[in-house]
Amino acid sequence: MPEQKITITIDDEGSITAKTSGFKGGACLDALEELLEIDGVVSSVKKTDEYNQLQSINQTYIQKNKRQ
Amino acid sequence: MSAVIKTTTPFIIQSVLFKALCVVGAEPKILTSDLASGLRQGRAIVGDILTNRSDYNGIQYFHKQGERWVFLHDSDEYSARIESQLSDRKYTAVSRFLTDLSYAYDMAYQEHVDAVAEQERIRLENERKARVESTRQNAIAKAKAQGYSVKQSETATGQIQLVLTRTV
Repeated sequence: MPEQKITITIDDEGSITAKTSGFKGGACLDALEELLEIDGVVSSVKKTDEYNQLQSINQTYIQKNKRQ
Repeated sequence: MSAVIKTTTPFIIQSVLFKALCVVGAEPKILTSDLASGLRQGRAIVGDILTNRSDYNGIQYFHKQGERWVFLHDSDEYSARIESQLSDRKYTAVSRFLTDLSYAYDMAYQEHVDAVAEQERIRLENERKARVESTRQNAIAKAKAQGYSVKQSETATGQIQLVLTRTV
């Protein structure tokens, strides 16, 4: 069975870097949105070659938490 | 005729003034209603800061006027003396007393500023830790709710790393 994997790194300020693998197409974006509520707080997205092949997807997101 | 005057450091913060008065040996006491009944405090009122210095008018004391604490005493320093249990206390003129007190106040104020800065640093550090912890807990809770297994580790730089996996 295919495995979906998300690696999340939380830095000293609470910002998140997330890397996904094993998702198809834009499903990785949906998965991250569902998991981290990143809508509107993503500062950069780096897409890999695999993303455009709509097969194995590997995405990196950086979420900058909104400070109070 | 001309004159040159120099004012003291404005005594603004009560706790700093109190500390400075201790440093110069003035044995400060805040006048309470209980204390007032047993003292010849002159015109001092509850809340004023009494010293161990006294004169014709009674105890020399600090009274808050607006933002500043002002030293009140007999202008001629008539019958001036120290009222202290400690035998090594000797009366010094008001001008000298205020000069010494200004210096002690400046020192105490610097310590106060440093302490406030340290408190602020600790507060910000606690906020930062709370923010990281909240992010971590939210991510773990949502991941588990969505069927991921979660493994936590630390990176070489001490950052929290969560590896979430699930099979579909």
